[in-house]
Amino acid sequence: MKTLTRSLFIFLGLVIGGGAIAYAQVPPAPLVEFPYTGNRTAVWIVAQLHILFAAFILGAPIFAVVSEWLGYKNQDPKYDRLAKEVTKVTVILYSMTALTGGLFIFVLLAAYPDFTTWLISHFFVIFAIVYPLLFILETFILYTYFYSWDSMKGPQKARHIALGVLLNIVGTVTLFAIDGPTSFMNTPAKAVEGLSLVEYIQTAGLWDKMANFSWMPLNLHRMVGNVTFGGFIAGLIAAYMYMGAKTDEDRSYYDWMGFVGNMIGVGALLFLPFMGYLLAYELCDYDASICPYMMADQLSMFFEMQGAMVGLIFLASNYYIWLSMKRIQGVEKVRMSGMVMIAVLLIPAVMGVAWKMFPPPEWQSLLFLAALVFLPPILSRLPGLRFTVSAFTMIKVGFLMIVVADAIWMTPHGFVATQAMATEHNELPSWASELALMPAKNAAAFTLVFLTIVNYILYNRAIRQGTIIWGKIDFASQFVLIFLAFSAIWTMGLMGTVRSLTRKYFHVYNLVPDFTPEAFTPTLSYSAWWITGVTIVFFAVVSFSIMVTLRPGSGQKADAPQGIPVPAGGK
Amino acid sequence: MAEQSLTRNIMKKGVIGVVVGIILVVAARATHFPEVFQFMFFLYAMLGALVFILLDAPTMPRLEGAKAVIGLIIFYAVLSGAYIGGASILPQYDPEDEKGKIDKVLKMRKAMSEQGKAEELIARAKELNDRAASIEKQLQSLGGGAVVVDDAAGSSSGAASGDLVALGKEQWELQECYNCHKLFGQGGKKRGPILDNIGNLMKPEELREKILDPKSWKAEGFDKQYEKGKMPDKYKDLMFKAEVDALVAFLATLKDASVNTPKPIKMK
Repeated sequence: MKTLTRSLFIFLGLVIGGGAIAYAQVPPAPLVEFPYTGNRTAVWIVAQLHILFAAFILGAPIFAVVSEWLGYKNQDPKYDRLAKEVTKVTVILYSMTALTGGLFIFVLLAAYPDFTTWLISHFFVIFAIVYPLLFILETFILYTYFYSWDSMKGPQKARHIALGVLLNIVGTVTLFAIDGPTSFMNTPAKAVEGLSLVEYIQTAGLWDKMANFSWMPLNLHRMVGNVTFGGFIAGLIAAYMYMGAKTDEDRSYYDWMGFVGNMIGVGALLFLPFMGYLLAYELCDYDASICPYMMADQLSMFFEMQGAMVGLIFLASNYYIWLSMKRIQGVEKVRMSGMVMIAVLLIPAVMGVAWKMFPPPEWQSLLFLAALVFLPPILSRLPGLRFTVSAFTMIKVGFLMIVVADAIWMTPHGFVATQAMATEHNELPSWASELALMPAKNAAAFTLVFLTIVNYILYNRAIRQGTIIWGKIDFASQFVLIFLAFSAIWTMGLMGTVRSLTRKYFHVYNLVPDFTPEAFTPTLSYSAWWITGVTIVFFAVVSFSIMVTLRPGSGQKADAPQGIPVPAGGK
Repeated sequence: MAEQSLTRNIMKKGVIGVVVGIILVVAARATHFPEVFQFMFFLYAMLGALVFILLDAPTMPRLEGAKAVIGLIIFYAVLSGAYIGGASILPQYDPEDEKGKIDKVLKMRKAMSEQGKAEELIARAKELNDRAASIEKQLQSLGGGAVVVDDAAGSSSGAASGDLVALGKEQWELQECYNCHKLFGQGGKKRGPILDNIGNLMKPEELREKILDPKSWKAEGFDKQYEKGKMPDKYKDLMFKAEVDALVAFLATLKDASVNTPKPIKMK
């Protein structure tokens, strides 16, 4: 027995030894070089596509379950139909998320094998256990949620909604889990006193690496971004379906769906600049040199483009409200206090000066803010100040101020691609340099948000006082919905590019250098080509999915007939 | 009728936009805005005009079937073209500028990352050096050793220190110190003190201390920046000793007393 055991050990030893020698003889695989795009851009394309699909499958269920709950609460089948249609498209696109996710790992391993192995080894539990398990669980819940829609009606509806909530909880945890390694690449945990960063990371635990500077800001930013995404994609679905609708019932329903999608998208969008600001603030707090790199140096023109995009998105979303109001009968009777109009005209200047004197979150800055928000309704009750303006005048003044706010938001310190090239011929004169500083930018962002809220208040007054006729909206509004979806997604791509590029020539900032020849900041133009390409591919797939699942123009009957016209404020 | 109304709308708002744009340009020129900003203000005025044209535009006719599909394709193409075009007309950073920089910054790290090879070479070199020293010692003890005076090293010390300062200036560029510190009238945006006279205010070892531990010194009047830790605490991890030496050597030469460099205050 002993001999047999020994022989077995010797045999195994020989096999292993021989195998090891044979393996050692195998020449290392040549490094992969992706044709035309190069390795970095190949990873970029696949990663961005994956993130767009992932954002959709995480954002759309939030939108769907809220809609389903509203339908249940108000006993309104429109909401339930909306939720189901969005979920139907989500189920189709779920497979695309998995496909692009798998492709992402393959491309990453092929292009950057050493770094990928290094990252996986540091987040092994996340990549090998937590993430796959969560993904499987999410898949299981999503399919159960969708396929039990019709069977869990009536008394079981609450349970079905609970399933939807569970789906969103698992989705959010999945997002948080994968954001750990992503944010770690931007802001790896800071070393403790006496240790170098390399030494510290070797000994740091998983939680230390996950809970880094930018983890929670990235989680919040992506969560809000995903809700915006879900809303605008619902608007896109509505626009396609409205364009293909054959009956007044369908047009009425998809007109309403577009409005709801836009409202959710815009509602979340209002928080997005502040979430983005929080993320940028944490990045700068982690390493102050990131700030000039983003705002004044190589990436400054990326932010100029972002300013233009955000401005256009706010203009378009408010234009949609304008078009929506134009089809409300009796809207001409709606009026608003003239004091609000005066406040709107004063906002950029007053808040710019106030935030210059008292930067947020100092309490005095909030005092100015509160005064601008609450004083107009109080003052308008005083005799002699009770003048009113029509809703259309108010909105037009609002648009004027949106253009002003956009102009402030977009005005850079200098039209230069890098600080090193700054001269007096391309920089703001010193007396106007405040225009490019944060107080002015914050005032512009606040103006955009404030005006959008005022416009929604006016819209609500209009539908309470008048009659809204669904299905009769200006056809141009459908292009506005498509514009919003396309532009929001393009901007997501742009800012994702910025976040990745803030790592400069590192895979993991200050920790793992990127020695490949592609470790440089690409031009904005080059980036724009790829961002546009990825957005178009994403739109092509989403459009195809909508065509396949919902078949616009097929004349299929709605789940519940919709009456037109619908009384304003009616359920 | 609708077309006439649209044309009139475009004409009216367009003219107003141009007039407002011209007023903005004239005002911007009078207040010393560079031309590129004057052009930008004109574009803002035209954006405003476009917005008001759209607000008063007549209702768009419904598109159906193939017309709707073609309309959509054209719309996507216009959007894509506008975004690529818009991004391309803005000033573009030249990656070639950065490529050279990155190569220089990562050169030493790259050499070190070739694990095994580099370490092995260093170990071998050290071993050979030790053996040579031991042989030399033996020869000296036998009385046959020749003392070699390194004339070349001595004579080139001036040139070497000049090289060191040049390397330090290069480090200034590579580490992008100019983003926060103004020097020779260039760079800096109030994040860090102007450094033209720092060589008169700090000794080389103090400069080294500040670079490796930013909390060790504070510039007078920069309390807020100091409290917020604006100077990154990363150079001890990112820079090699030789690179820090070079940067210190360069900073020590900055002795322009006509520039008011804030006084450094020892904090640690």
